Amino acid sequence: MARGRQLVWLALVLGIVLIVVAIVYWAEPAKSLPSFFPGHQAGSNHHHVKHGIAALLLGLACFVYAWFRSGGPRQRGAAV
Amino acid sequence: MPISYGQAIVLGLLQGVSELFPVSSLGHSVILPRLLGWHIHQNDSFFITFLVATHLATAIVLFGFFWRDWVRILRGIGRSLREREIAPGDTDAKLGWLLVVGTIPAGILGLLLQDKLRSVFASAQYAALFLIVNGLVLFGAEALRRRAPEPERGDPDERIGRRVSWRDASGVGAVQALALIPGFSRSGVTMGGGLLVGLSNEDAARFAFLLATPIIGAAAALKLPELFGPQGNGVRGPALVGAICAAVTAYLSVRFLMRFFETNRLTPFAIYCVAAGVAASVYFLL
Repeated sequence: MARGRQLVWLALVLGIVLIVVAIVYWAEPAKSLPSFFPGHQAGSNHHHVKHGIAALLLGLACFVYAWFRSGGPRQRGAAV
Repeated sequence: MPISYGQAIVLGLLQGVSELFPVSSLGHSVILPRLLGWHIHQNDSFFITFLVATHLATAIVLFGFFWRDWVRILRGIGRSLREREIAPGDTDAKLGWLLVVGTIPAGILGLLLQDKLRSVFASAQYAALFLIVNGLVLFGAEALRRRAPEPERGDPDERIGRRVSWRDASGVGAVQALALIPGFSRSGVTMGGGLLVGLSNEDAARFAFLLATPIIGAAAALKLPELFGPQGNGVRGPALVGAICAAVTAYLSVRFLMRFFETNRLTPFAIYCVAAGVAASVYFLL
Protein backbone atom coordinates (compact mmCIF):
# COMPACT_ATOMS: atom_id res chain seq x y z
CA MET A 1 0.00 0.00 0.00
CA ALA A 2 2.84 2.41 0.97
CA ARG A 3 4.66 1.49 -2.23
CA GLY A 4 1.52 2.27 -4.24
CA ARG A 5 1.30 5.71 -2.65
CA GLN A 6 4.98 6.33 -3.40
CA LEU A 7 4.36 5.47 -7.04
CA VAL A 8 1.46 7.93 -7.17
CA TRP A 9 3.66 10.71 -5.79
CA LEU A 10 6.46 9.76 -8.15
CA ALA A 11 4.08 9.88 -11.14
CA LEU A 12 2.73 13.26 -10.02
CA VAL A 13 6.19 14.78 -9.61
CA LEU A 14 7.37 13.30 -12.90
CA GLY A 15 4.23 14.59 -14.62
CA ILE A 16 4.82 18.13 -13.35
CA VAL A 17 8.50 18.01 -14.32
CA LEU A 18 7.63 16.83 -17.84
CA ILE A 19 5.07 19.59 -18.31
CA VAL A 20 7.64 22.15 -17.19
CA VAL A 21 10.06 20.59 -19.68
CA ALA A 22 7.39 20.91 -22.40
CA ILE A 23 6.95 24.62 -21.60
CA VAL A 24 10.72 25.16 -21.70
CA TYR A 25 10.88 23.51 -25.14
CA TRP A 26 8.11 25.77 -26.44
CA ALA A 27 9.44 28.95 -24.84
CA GLU A 28 13.17 28.67 -25.44
CA PRO A 29 15.11 28.33 -28.72
CA ALA A 30 17.49 25.37 -29.09
CA LYS A 31 20.51 27.51 -28.15
CA SER A 32 18.97 28.47 -24.77
CA LEU A 33 17.94 24.96 -23.74
CA PRO A 34 19.93 23.39 -20.87
CA SER A 35 22.79 21.40 -22.38
CA PHE A 36 21.43 18.07 -21.07
CA PHE A 37 18.14 18.54 -22.95
CA PRO A 38 17.83 16.53 -26.18
CA GLY A 39 17.81 19.07 -29.02
CA HIS A 40 20.16 21.60 -27.41
CA GLN A 41 22.17 23.23 -30.18
CA ALA A 42 24.48 26.17 -29.70
CA GLY A 43 23.60 29.11 -31.93
CA SER A 44 20.28 27.67 -33.15
CA ASN A 45 17.09 29.74 -32.93
CA HIS A 46 14.90 26.75 -33.78
CA HIS A 47 12.08 25.98 -31.33
CA HIS A 48 11.68 22.25 -30.68
CA VAL A 49 7.87 22.26 -30.68
CA LYS A 50 7.67 18.51 -31.28
CA HIS A 51 9.96 17.74 -28.34
CA GLY A 52 7.60 19.84 -26.25
CA ILE A 53 4.57 17.91 -27.44
CA ALA A 54 6.35 14.63 -26.64
CA ALA A 55 7.13 15.84 -23.10
CA LEU A 56 3.54 17.01 -22.64
CA LEU A 57 2.17 13.62 -23.74
CA LEU A 58 4.44 11.80 -21.30
CA GLY A 59 3.47 14.21 -18.52
CA LEU A 60 -0.23 13.65 -19.16
CA ALA A 61 0.38 9.89 -19.17
CA CYS A 62 1.99 10.19 -15.72
CA PHE A 63 -1.05 12.10 -14.41
CA VAL A 64 -3.45 9.49 -15.82
CA TYR A 65 -1.41 6.74 -14.17
CA ALA A 66 -1.53 8.56 -10.83
CA TRP A 67 -5.27 9.12 -11.24
CA PHE A 68 -6.00 5.42 -11.74
CA ARG A 69 -3.45 4.25 -9.21
CA SER A 70 -4.86 6.45 -6.45
CA GLY A 71 -8.53 5.61 -7.16
CA GLY A 72 -10.58 2.52 -7.94
CA PRO A 73 -12.42 0.11 -5.68
CA ARG A 74 -9.70 -0.04 -3.01
CA GLN A 75 -9.84 3.70 -2.48
CA ARG A 76 -13.63 3.75 -2.29
CA GLY A 77 -13.60 0.79 0.12
CA ALA A 78 -11.14 2.63 2.36
CA ALA A 79 -13.39 5.71 2.37
CA VAL A 80 -16.39 3.65 3.55
CA MET B 1 3.37 23.70 -60.57
CA PRO B 2 5.55 21.23 -58.59
CA ILE B 3 2.95 18.42 -58.75
CA SER B 4 0.63 18.13 -61.74
CA TYR B 5 -3.01 17.10 -61.32
CA GLY B 6 -2.27 13.82 -63.07
CA GLN B 7 0.55 13.06 -60.64
CA ALA B 8 -1.68 14.07 -57.73
CA ILE B 9 -4.37 11.60 -58.84
CA VAL B 10 -1.87 8.73 -59.18
CA LEU B 11 -0.12 9.50 -55.87
CA GLY B 12 -3.43 10.04 -54.06
CA LEU B 13 -4.89 6.74 -55.27
CA LEU B 14 -1.64 5.00 -54.34
CA GLN B 15 -1.50 6.62 -50.90
CA GLY B 16 -5.04 5.51 -49.96
CA VAL B 17 -4.31 1.91 -50.86
CA SER B 18 -0.75 1.58 -49.63
CA GLU B 19 -1.34 3.33 -46.28
CA LEU B 20 -3.76 0.60 -45.22
CA PHE B 21 -2.49 -2.40 -47.14
CA PRO B 22 0.61 -3.63 -45.27
CA VAL B 23 2.95 -2.57 -48.08
CA SER B 24 4.35 0.84 -47.01
CA SER B 25 2.77 4.00 -48.39
CA LEU B 26 5.92 6.05 -47.83
CA GLY B 27 8.02 3.45 -49.60
CA HIS B 28 5.71 3.49 -52.61
CA SER B 29 5.60 7.31 -52.58
CA VAL B 30 9.39 7.30 -52.81
CA ILE B 31 9.83 4.47 -55.30
CA LEU B 32 7.05 5.21 -57.80
CA PRO B 33 8.07 8.79 -58.72
CA ARG B 34 11.62 7.54 -59.27
CA LEU B 35 10.41 4.65 -61.46
CA LEU B 36 8.25 7.02 -63.51
CA GLY B 37 11.02 9.60 -63.78
CA TRP B 38 9.08 12.27 -61.91
CA HIS B 39 11.10 15.00 -60.21
CA ILE B 40 9.44 14.47 -56.86
CA HIS B 41 11.56 13.70 -53.85
CA GLN B 42 10.17 12.70 -50.46
CA ASN B 43 12.01 15.51 -48.66
CA ASP B 44 10.76 18.23 -51.05
CA SER B 45 8.70 20.64 -48.98
CA PHE B 46 5.88 20.70 -51.56
CA PHE B 47 5.69 16.90 -51.52
CA ILE B 48 5.55 16.80 -47.70
CA THR B 49 2.72 19.35 -47.88
CA PHE B 50 0.95 17.17 -50.45
CA LEU B 51 1.37 14.11 -48.22
CA VAL B 52 -0.16 16.01 -45.27
CA ALA B 53 -3.39 16.36 -47.23
CA THR B 54 -3.51 12.72 -48.35
CA HIS B 55 -2.68 11.46 -44.85
CA LEU B 56 -5.36 13.66 -43.32
CA ALA B 57 -7.88 12.29 -45.81
CA THR B 58 -6.87 8.72 -44.92
CA ALA B 59 -7.19 9.43 -41.19
CA ILE B 60 -10.65 10.98 -41.67
CA VAL B 61 -11.80 7.95 -43.67
CA LEU B 62 -10.45 5.55 -41.03
CA PHE B 63 -12.14 7.57 -38.27
CA GLY B 64 -15.40 7.59 -40.23
CA PHE B 65 -15.23 3.87 -40.99
CA PHE B 66 -14.83 3.01 -37.31
CA TRP B 67 -16.99 5.95 -36.14
CA ARG B 68 -19.35 3.90 -33.98
CA ASP B 69 -16.42 2.05 -32.43
CA TRP B 70 -14.64 5.32 -31.63
CA VAL B 71 -17.77 6.69 -29.94
CA ARG B 72 -17.96 3.55 -27.78
CA ILE B 73 -14.21 3.64 -27.08
CA LEU B 74 -14.21 7.32 -26.11
CA ARG B 75 -17.22 6.78 -23.85
CA GLY B 76 -15.40 3.84 -22.28
CA ILE B 77 -12.33 5.99 -21.61
CA GLY B 78 -14.52 8.71 -20.09
CA ARG B 79 -16.35 6.15 -17.93
CA SER B 80 -13.10 4.66 -16.63
CA LEU B 81 -11.71 8.13 -15.82
CA ARG B 82 -14.84 8.97 -13.84
CA GLU B 83 -14.76 5.66 -11.98
CA ARG B 84 -10.94 5.77 -11.67
CA GLU B 85 -10.71 2.13 -12.72
CA ILE B 86 -11.22 -0.05 -15.77
CA ALA B 87 -14.12 -2.17 -14.63
CA PRO B 88 -13.77 -5.90 -15.37
CA GLY B 89 -15.80 -6.54 -18.50
CA ASP B 90 -15.68 -2.93 -19.71
CA THR B 91 -14.33 -3.88 -23.12
CA ASP B 92 -14.58 -0.38 -24.56
CA ALA B 93 -12.55 1.18 -21.74
CA LYS B 94 -9.90 -1.56 -21.93
CA LEU B 95 -9.57 -1.24 -25.70
CA GLY B 96 -9.49 2.55 -25.42
CA TRP B 97 -6.64 2.53 -22.92
CA LEU B 98 -4.78 -0.12 -24.92
CA LEU B 99 -4.94 2.28 -27.87
CA VAL B 100 -3.69 5.15 -25.68
CA VAL B 101 -0.83 3.02 -24.34
CA GLY B 102 0.03 1.96 -27.90
CA THR B 103 -0.17 5.48 -29.28
CA ILE B 104 2.10 7.20 -26.72
CA PRO B 105 5.38 5.44 -27.63
CA ALA B 106 4.59 5.67 -31.34
CA GLY B 107 3.78 9.36 -31.01
CA ILE B 108 6.89 10.18 -29.03
CA LEU B 109 9.22 8.19 -31.26
CA GLY B 110 7.58 9.73 -34.31
CA LEU B 111 7.91 13.27 -32.99
CA LEU B 112 11.55 12.80 -32.07
CA LEU B 113 12.82 10.67 -34.96
CA GLN B 114 10.70 11.58 -37.98
CA ASP B 115 12.94 14.19 -39.54
CA LYS B 116 16.18 12.32 -38.81
CA LEU B 117 15.00 8.98 -40.20
CA ARG B 118 13.49 10.55 -43.30
CA SER B 119 16.66 12.44 -44.10
CA VAL B 120 18.92 9.42 -43.54
CA PHE B 121 16.82 6.92 -45.53
CA ALA B 122 15.52 9.29 -48.17
CA SER B 123 16.62 7.47 -51.32
CA ALA B 124 14.47 5.19 -53.46
CA GLN B 125 17.18 2.50 -53.25
CA TYR B 126 16.85 2.40 -49.46
CA ALA B 127 13.05 2.29 -49.78
CA ALA B 128 13.26 -0.71 -52.14
CA LEU B 129 15.60 -2.54 -49.75
CA PHE B 130 13.40 -1.83 -46.74
CA LEU B 131 10.37 -2.98 -48.71
CA ILE B 132 12.08 -6.37 -48.96
CA VAL B 133 12.74 -6.30 -45.20
CA ASN B 134 9.08 -5.37 -44.62
CA GLY B 135 8.05 -8.46 -46.61
CA LEU B 136 10.39 -10.62 -44.53
CA VAL B 137 8.91 -9.13 -41.33
CA LEU B 138 5.42 -10.08 -42.53
CA PHE B 139 6.62 -13.61 -43.36
CA GLY B 140 8.26 -13.81 -39.93
CA ALA B 141 5.14 -12.64 -38.12
CA GLU B 142 3.05 -15.30 -39.85
CA ALA B 143 5.66 -17.96 -39.07
CA LEU B 144 5.96 -17.01 -35.39
CA ARG B 145 2.28 -16.27 -34.76
CA ARG B 146 0.83 -17.65 -31.53
CA ARG B 147 -2.69 -18.36 -32.76
CA ALA B 148 -3.63 -20.70 -35.59
CA PRO B 149 -5.12 -18.84 -38.57
CA GLU B 150 -8.81 -19.70 -38.26
CA PRO B 151 -11.99 -17.57 -38.23
CA GLU B 152 -13.27 -16.54 -34.79
CA ARG B 153 -16.71 -15.78 -33.41
CA GLY B 154 -17.86 -13.21 -30.86
CA ASP B 155 -16.87 -9.64 -30.03
CA PRO B 156 -13.45 -8.77 -31.54
CA ASP B 157 -12.90 -5.97 -29.01
CA GLU B 158 -13.41 -8.39 -26.15
CA ARG B 159 -10.82 -10.73 -27.68
CA ILE B 160 -8.35 -7.87 -28.17
CA GLY B 161 -8.87 -6.68 -24.59
CA ARG B 162 -8.34 -10.19 -23.26
CA ARG B 163 -5.30 -11.13 -25.34
CA VAL B 164 -3.33 -7.87 -25.49
CA SER B 165 -1.53 -6.85 -22.31
CA TRP B 166 -0.42 -3.27 -21.54
CA ARG B 167 3.14 -4.24 -22.37
CA ASP B 168 2.02 -5.81 -25.66
CA ALA B 169 0.10 -2.66 -26.57
CA SER B 170 3.08 -0.40 -25.94
CA GLY B 171 5.35 -2.75 -27.91
CA VAL B 172 2.96 -3.01 -30.86
CA GLY B 173 2.50 0.77 -30.74
CA ALA B 174 6.23 1.45 -30.60
CA VAL B 175 6.99 -0.64 -33.69
CA GLN B 176 4.77 1.77 -35.64
CA ALA B 177 7.76 4.11 -35.53
CA LEU B 178 9.43 1.78 -38.06
CA ALA B 179 6.98 3.18 -40.61
CA LEU B 180 8.97 6.43 -40.50
CA ILE B 181 11.53 4.57 -42.60
CA PRO B 182 10.34 4.44 -46.24
CA GLY B 183 9.69 0.79 -47.09
CA PHE B 184 8.33 -0.29 -43.72
CA SER B 185 4.56 -0.44 -43.43
CA ARG B 186 2.81 0.93 -40.35
CA SER B 187 -0.17 -1.39 -40.73
CA GLY B 188 2.15 -4.27 -41.62
CA VAL B 189 4.31 -4.06 -38.51
CA THR B 190 1.32 -3.50 -36.22
CA MET B 191 -0.58 -6.41 -37.76
CA GLY B 192 2.56 -8.52 -37.42
CA GLY B 193 2.91 -7.40 -33.80
CA GLY B 194 -0.73 -8.29 -33.21
CA LEU B 195 -0.13 -11.82 -34.52
CA LEU B 196 2.91 -12.19 -32.25
CA VAL B 197 0.91 -11.25 -29.14
CA GLY B 198 -1.79 -13.81 -29.95
CA LEU B 199 -4.38 -12.01 -32.08
CA SER B 200 -5.98 -13.51 -35.17
CA ASN B 201 -5.44 -11.79 -38.54
CA GLU B 202 -8.89 -10.22 -38.31
CA ASP B 203 -8.34 -8.82 -34.81
CA ALA B 204 -4.77 -7.77 -35.59
CA ALA B 205 -6.04 -5.79 -38.60
CA ARG B 206 -8.77 -4.16 -36.52
CA PHE B 207 -6.31 -3.24 -33.76
CA ALA B 208 -3.82 -1.93 -36.34
CA PHE B 209 -6.39 0.32 -38.04
CA LEU B 210 -7.69 1.68 -34.72
CA LEU B 211 -4.12 2.28 -33.57
CA ALA B 212 -3.20 4.01 -36.83
CA THR B 213 -6.06 6.52 -36.81
CA PRO B 214 -4.87 8.90 -34.05
CA ILE B 215 -1.24 8.73 -35.17
CA ILE B 216 -1.91 9.42 -38.85
CA GLY B 217 -4.46 12.11 -37.95
CA ALA B 218 -2.20 13.82 -35.40
CA ALA B 219 0.86 13.69 -37.68
CA ALA B 220 -1.16 15.30 -40.48
CA ALA B 221 -2.79 17.85 -38.16
CA LEU B 222 0.62 18.94 -36.82
CA LYS B 223 1.76 19.76 -40.35
CA LEU B 224 -1.54 21.27 -41.46
CA PRO B 225 -0.26 24.86 -41.05
CA GLU B 226 2.25 24.11 -43.82
CA LEU B 227 -0.61 23.28 -46.19
CA PHE B 228 -2.32 26.60 -45.52
CA GLY B 229 0.89 28.63 -45.18
CA PRO B 230 3.22 29.90 -47.92
CA GLN B 231 4.64 26.37 -48.33
CA GLY B 232 1.26 25.29 -49.68
CA ASN B 233 1.26 27.82 -52.52
CA GLY B 234 0.88 26.01 -55.82
CA VAL B 235 0.22 22.66 -54.12
CA ARG B 236 -3.22 23.16 -52.59
CA GLY B 237 -5.17 22.29 -55.75
CA PRO B 238 -3.30 19.04 -56.48
CA ALA B 239 -3.28 18.28 -52.73
CA LEU B 240 -7.08 18.55 -52.61
CA VAL B 241 -7.43 16.28 -55.65
CA GLY B 242 -4.90 13.84 -54.18
CA ALA B 243 -6.72 13.86 -50.84
CA ILE B 244 -10.06 13.04 -52.49
CA CYS B 245 -8.45 10.18 -54.44
CA ALA B 246 -6.73 8.93 -51.26
CA ALA B 247 -10.04 9.07 -49.36
CA VAL B 248 -11.80 6.96 -52.00
CA THR B 249 -9.14 4.26 -52.14
CA ALA B 250 -8.64 4.30 -48.35
CA TYR B 251 -12.35 3.62 -47.86
CA LEU B 252 -12.35 0.78 -50.41
CA SER B 253 -9.13 -0.61 -48.92
CA VAL B 254 -10.28 -0.72 -45.31
CA ARG B 255 -13.59 -2.29 -46.37
CA PHE B 256 -11.78 -4.91 -48.41
CA LEU B 257 -9.10 -5.65 -45.80
CA MET B 258 -11.52 -6.10 -42.90
CA ARG B 259 -13.25 -8.83 -44.93
CA PHE B 260 -10.02 -10.21 -46.37
CA PHE B 261 -8.44 -10.83 -42.98
CA GLU B 262 -11.46 -12.76 -41.70
CA THR B 263 -10.12 -15.74 -43.62
CA ASN B 264 -6.74 -14.73 -45.05
CA ARG B 265 -3.20 -14.06 -43.90
CA LEU B 266 -0.40 -11.54 -44.43
CA THR B 267 1.47 -13.89 -46.75
CA PRO B 268 0.29 -12.42 -50.11
CA PHE B 269 1.45 -8.96 -49.02
CA ALA B 270 4.77 -10.40 -47.83
CA ILE B 271 5.30 -11.96 -51.27
CA TYR B 272 4.37 -8.70 -52.99
CA CYS B 273 6.77 -6.64 -50.82
CA VAL B 274 9.72 -8.95 -51.44
CA ALA B 275 8.99 -9.20 -55.18
CA ALA B 276 8.41 -5.45 -55.63
CA GLY B 277 11.44 -4.59 -53.50
CA VAL B 278 13.71 -6.95 -55.46
CA ALA B 279 12.37 -5.72 -58.81
CA ALA B 280 12.79 -2.06 -57.85
CA SER B 281 16.30 -2.69 -56.45
CA VAL B 282 17.38 -4.43 -59.67
CA TYR B 283 15.89 -1.61 -61.76
CA PHE B 284 17.77 1.03 -59.75
CA LEU B 285 21.02 -0.93 -60.06
CA LEU B 286 20.79 -1.20 -63.86
